[in-house]
Amino acid sequence: MHQSRFTRTLRTIAGWLVVGAFFFPIYFWTSVAFRDAKEIFNWPPIIFDFHPTVRNFEQVFGISLGFSFGNQEAVTPGGGNFYMGPRLWDSIVVASLSTVLAIVVATLASYALSRMNFRGRHEFVNWVLSTRMMPPVAVAIPMFFIFKQFSLLDTYLGVILIHGLMNLPLAVLLLKSFFDDIPAEIDESALLDGASRWTIFRRIVLPMAKGGIAATAVLCFIFSWTEFLFVLTLTQTGLKTVPVVSSTFVTSIGTAWGNMAALGAAAIVPAFITILLVQRHLVRGLTMGSLKQ
Amino acid sequence: MSVAQVKRIAISDSPWPWLAPLIALLIVFTIYPLIYNVWLSFHEFVPRKRTLAFVGFDNWVQLWNDTRFWGALGVTFLYFVIALTVELVLGMAVALLLDAELPGFGALRAILSMTLVIPPAIAGMMFLLMQDPQFGVLSYFLNQLGILDKSTPILATSSLALIGVLLAEIWQWTPFMVLIFMAGLRSLPTEPYEAAMIDGASSFQMFRRLTLPMMSKVIAVAILLRGIDLFRVFDYVFVMTSGGPGTSTYTLSLYAWQQTFSFLKWGYGATLSLTSLVIIMVLANLFIRVAKVRW
Repeated sequence: MHQSRFTRTLRTIAGWLVVGAFFFPIYFWTSVAFRDAKEIFNWPPIIFDFHPTVRNFEQVFGISLGFSFGNQEAVTPGGGNFYMGPRLWDSIVVASLSTVLAIVVATLASYALSRMNFRGRHEFVNWVLSTRMMPPVAVAIPMFFIFKQFSLLDTYLGVILIHGLMNLPLAVLLLKSFFDDIPAEIDESALLDGASRWTIFRRIVLPMAKGGIAATAVLCFIFSWTEFLFVLTLTQTGLKTVPVVSSTFVTSIGTAWGNMAALGAAAIVPAFITILLVQRHLVRGLTMGSLKQ
Repeated sequence: MSVAQVKRIAISDSPWPWLAPLIALLIVFTIYPLIYNVWLSFHEFVPRKRTLAFVGFDNWVQLWNDTRFWGALGVTFLYFVIALTVELVLGMAVALLLDAELPGFGALRAILSMTLVIPPAIAGMMFLLMQDPQFGVLSYFLNQLGILDKSTPILATSSLALIGVLLAEIWQWTPFMVLIFMAGLRSLPTEPYEAAMIDGASSFQMFRRLTLPMMSKVIAVAILLRGIDLFRVFDYVFVMTSGGPGTSTYTLSLYAWQQTFSFLKWGYGATLSLTSLVIIMVLANLFIRVAKVRW
């Protein structure tokens, strides 16, 4: 459609302004991570004109970065109330292993759902979809008691299991949509040549769906990385992931906003980089495979 | 099992060996919790004896007479309706605005997807900080615009707290709608628009008569997926207000969680969460039927 130069310029500016408004909270939060308390608790709030410091990061990760932007005193590394290195590790372990669990189970199931005709296939897909509707609280309450019985409370295994299970509906439906993209004739001709389903799956379909599997894995990782309620309910002191541990920065003597923002910013950056890698499949992922880009 | 047997199963065309791990996990994740919840809803924890006692329909009767439950249901519905409406309308507006090949618009799409990878609990914290009455940047802007009095704390005022929580919600999930709608808009055919232009249709008419009907499937999927999450909202209210002030931001999920884990009313908590589950299931499946969403 034809638009005048003026409309195009106006539209460009409007687009940047709108997205800028959405970006502002992220900018502000990140800037708080680089501030001293003095510059956080200020009225009017300081937006751009602050004196950056890496102190919050040093405290949260228990390291000395060995430099500062100004004349702030050095921090002794290791320990301290806000040392969160192990919690970041907890997040990485839980998100990675739960992703592996979901992907392994889901690739197998999705292949069957995409390739084999059997009675009740449609109903089966609906059942998988309906598990996506369960409120986490309705799962967390019984799981708490079941985990207690099997000594799974407060363990990596327990959280990995529950996050893997939580991501199954997404992984199954999304992978099915990626498998559906690969022509079924390929399978059929290989079957005629005497290849088994398993061989076809491993040698032909899996390599062809590599990109889709990677995109699914990234989304599973992010959903585990950002999950709150299950970790809150099913862990105590053994492990805690970043979103849950962030709430512990709220103490009786006030909130350590700088440290919290440092941890938050550090948790968001890797997630954002991975989501950039799968931009091409993002909408398909967000809609559980229902809309293809 | 012998090697030959394993081979025979692998070669045969039965889907069940492929589905078995998934079925096993889904039973653990959905069927078992469901049964357990139903069982738990007929029991209650007795702290004195540290055991569960059978109480019959007591929990269900209590639910019916519990004004806090009806209040939480109301808050949840209000949250659901406001957030869904704003996210849909705003999301569509921004998607229409960005649906053009203009300088840097590719980068804008990438920036928008940033909000989606932020843990909602942390997004809640961001808005908690920005809405602080003493040093929050959002309070300051609203104050400067003359919308908000300096002495009014948004999240600690009953009439405003839900709006404060909704700000975080809408900020984080409007981009979800934008990205989905933009993908939908880009896949629309151009011929109908060309024909409409020749007929002299206005852009609003084209949006009403062409874009909306052709986007109906995309919109339906977006409503379904966002709606499910909205109805089970927990993270934002938990970190931002814990349901307060009073009960003004108590959602169903939060109420069920607190009854179970803060007040040790295990049976009543299960009753509440089961109710929330049933409502979501019924509404979502009804919507799938009516809107003919298919996977």
